[in-house]
Amino acid sequence: MRLRVTFSAALFAASLCAAPSNAATVKALPAPQGETVWYAEDHSLPMIAMSAAIPAGAAYDPRGKDGLATFAASLLDEGAGDLNSNAFHEALANKAIQLSVTPGRDDMIVSLVTLKENAPDAFRLLGMALSKPHFENEAVNRVRAQMIASIEQNDEEPGDVAAKYFWHAYFGNHPYAHDASGTPQTLNAINQRDLHAFARDHWVRGGLKIAVAGDVTPQQLTQLLDTAFGSLPMKTPPAIPWPGKVGAPGVHIVPMPVPQPTVIFALPGLMRSDKDFLAAYVANYIVGGGGFSSRLTDEVRVKRGLTYDISTSLEAFRRAGVLVGLVATRADAVNQTIAVTRQTLKDFAANGPTDKELQDAKTYLTGSYPLAFQSDAGIAGQLNSFQRIGLPIDYVANRNALMNAVTLADVKRAAARLFDPARMTIVVAGSPVEPKAPPPPSAPVVRPKTGAPARK
Amino acid sequence: MPIRARLGAALIACTALLPLRARADEPKAFQFALQNGMQVLVVPDHRAPVVTHMLWFKVGAVDDPPGISGLAHFFEHMMFRGTKQVPGDSFSTTIARNGGVDNAQTTHDSTVFYEQIAKDRLPLAMQLEADRMVNLDLSDSNVTTERNVVSEERRMRIDNNPQSLLGEQMSAALYLSHPYGRPVIGWMEEIQHIDKNAARDFYKHHYAPNNAILVLAGDITPDEARKDAQAAYGKVPARELAPRWDFAQPPRLGETRMTVVRPDVKVPLFARNYRVKSYTEAHPGEAEGLEVLAQLLGGDATGIFYRSLVVDKKLAVDAGASYDGLNRDSGEFDLYAEPRPGVSLDVLERAMDATLADFIRKPIADADFARAKTQLVAGATYRRDNQYAMASAYGQALSIGLTTDDVEEWPSRIRAVTADSVRKAAASLNRREAVTAYLEPFVPLPKPAPRPRAQPKPAGATP
Repeated sequence: MRLRVTFSAALFAASLCAAPSNAATVKALPAPQGETVWYAEDHSLPMIAMSAAIPAGAAYDPRGKDGLATFAASLLDEGAGDLNSNAFHEALANKAIQLSVTPGRDDMIVSLVTLKENAPDAFRLLGMALSKPHFENEAVNRVRAQMIASIEQNDEEPGDVAAKYFWHAYFGNHPYAHDASGTPQTLNAINQRDLHAFARDHWVRGGLKIAVAGDVTPQQLTQLLDTAFGSLPMKTPPAIPWPGKVGAPGVHIVPMPVPQPTVIFALPGLMRSDKDFLAAYVANYIVGGGGFSSRLTDEVRVKRGLTYDISTSLEAFRRAGVLVGLVATRADAVNQTIAVTRQTLKDFAANGPTDKELQDAKTYLTGSYPLAFQSDAGIAGQLNSFQRIGLPIDYVANRNALMNAVTLADVKRAAARLFDPARMTIVVAGSPVEPKAPPPPSAPVVRPKTGAPARK
Repeated sequence: MPIRARLGAALIACTALLPLRARADEPKAFQFALQNGMQVLVVPDHRAPVVTHMLWFKVGAVDDPPGISGLAHFFEHMMFRGTKQVPGDSFSTTIARNGGVDNAQTTHDSTVFYEQIAKDRLPLAMQLEADRMVNLDLSDSNVTTERNVVSEERRMRIDNNPQSLLGEQMSAALYLSHPYGRPVIGWMEEIQHIDKNAARDFYKHHYAPNNAILVLAGDITPDEARKDAQAAYGKVPARELAPRWDFAQPPRLGETRMTVVRPDVKVPLFARNYRVKSYTEAHPGEAEGLEVLAQLLGGDATGIFYRSLVVDKKLAVDAGASYDGLNRDSGEFDLYAEPRPGVSLDVLERAMDATLADFIRKPIADADFARAKTQLVAGATYRRDNQYAMASAYGQALSIGLTTDDVEEWPSRIRAVTADSVRKAAASLNRREAVTAYLEPFVPLPKPAPRPRAQPKPAGATP
């Protein structure tokens, strides 16, 4: 091959790990009330991006009120302080302030993007939204109707149907099990009082994690954050309980009339604090996280043409780790796809990666790190994701060195811990059938891959 | 169509003007061409040591031969299937091994391939792209497997999704014989017609440097870009291209109405699509008028449709409008609304038409008008925070025949839009030449619903 990589992996990684960004250095802002605040000051563009995590995710939904956290979050821009719903929307839109909320299982993640000149308004409006929400009847009823319509629409999509079933099956009675968007019944059971109580108890300063990037000095930022979060109650929500036994090994089928069933396959993952987490992260990249570089893509898509996309990701929640995989294929190829997936995971658990796979994974994972630091919005989002899983600020600079320190033995150990097909929970949304014609060859003729041993 | 090599000599002068720590109010792209006709555009952004490399080919689904819809999109997939020197899926694995990400996308008008990668690895990405521009391995086994992958992609994106199916039906009706009416991904039956010969011809006729626009956004100067582009692409010879057909856009003489009823629909939908002028067809200010109109009517929760149908009349859970004007041929203006439970699509449609008629009749409120423009202009500023979005904006514009000026002056052209031109744009939406569609659930005669066979029963599952 004419095209050679001219730098050694180690050299390449070392040259990048010191500076994922040319322009911005990440610093912490002293926060008197114990919040975590990181910022990256960069005056290239006249804008500011913030991502903040408030421990007000769906895991805090009271029993019978599934969807309350998401409902409250969806009402964040629907009226607060002296502005009704319409006036609040206009106040944001008149200044092109982008306020959005992502309700997760642990946290409610609030993103704010604003032109620098409008920053005082942006942070003041956010402060009002969090501390003086109206939850007025008109908005509550309207947003409830929208959420129910969206739930019904998701019921058309096999991916959403599989996911909804999966979380229930996997987490049983734990608060991570229920659907974060609730059900029509639970949403209809939620009233204004519930919403106010939830905001009072959960939109608070304890456990607040904030990341900011862009055209702002630390002095200005201190003031802006005070207008947004200063009047929230200084309390911490109760901890989410630990799950007991998780997983429901076996194949669960949720029949629906679609041409292409969707399959979710999942295994217990690792907690972010586990000493093998980074090794598991690398293992996941090699098996299913790395797009065209992954073994599952190679086996299921490239060699056999069974799917457009197969991927896995290692989810780190505050109280659980899960490895979740996703693939969609035609109804008569579901069984073959599951079999190939199982076999691929089994091989990997037994033998781990090759040395070359490990090196390739590390050069990708370290070399692509600066891609997350290209934009103000990207930096704020990336830093906040580190904060949410409890990483220290020096992780930003040390992350690539830690990744490079992962050894082959580490990944083999993590692989053996993770990829046990017998523990796999598999959910199929759709109606799989056996192929009619003679089945496609299970071991098709393929070109040998240079540098990698045969995998079968 | 040969691309004129222009602005080549201006490069040195441009470099001297380059603001080193850019704090200019307007972004600026630098443009030149290689001798083989490849156009190059550079959008410097030095905040992170990363470059977005985008290669736009002026070929898309409109160039699919009759009976083989989906070929352009299929061919985009084939570009990842390897060359003699970079076999199999080595293209993507090499990019990944060097810390980069890559992907591609096909539209009716163009096909774009991109990589985002550390600045010092850019020459490698360029060599890989230059290699697959001419040396692709189009063997039978590759074609067969990839056809299956594309069939799965079609099932995922279209066949599994009633809204997508409705959109496909509406486009087929709206454009009459123009190929904008054929789905980019292709009709399932025609995807199966793709073979090695069709792929080879397509490659030979459309993939060449004189049909490509290279956009480099990120940590790179025009000087560096010129040196790197010349080294990687300069030696790829220009080739005679197949001409692009100049398709007629037959006038629509009547309204098309359709009702799609399916058992997999849970939420009904009203949709109407109008053919309107695109940026390439419009008189100055006309497309911008449609852009402001779409923002005013349906941009967000302050939009007129949302306020009227969702908040005031409580007929819909959502309603909006959009304008798609970045096309070589026709543009499109779309309306949609999702009814609240119990509201018929017929009632919803009449309310939407009444709102539109009301909008045309009355003066536009100053606050609404100012807000719509502010949002559009700020969107252009926010776009500068994102290399990919910047590279896309320039690449898409150039690939359909617009210029860098059209991109850079867009915010001031939006500011210059008058209320009168917005009302004119609204009045030009002619229902009697549009496609109006209802998507409705199939409601069978009542019988006991089958219970899922799944087990064990998950806690709290919806019955």
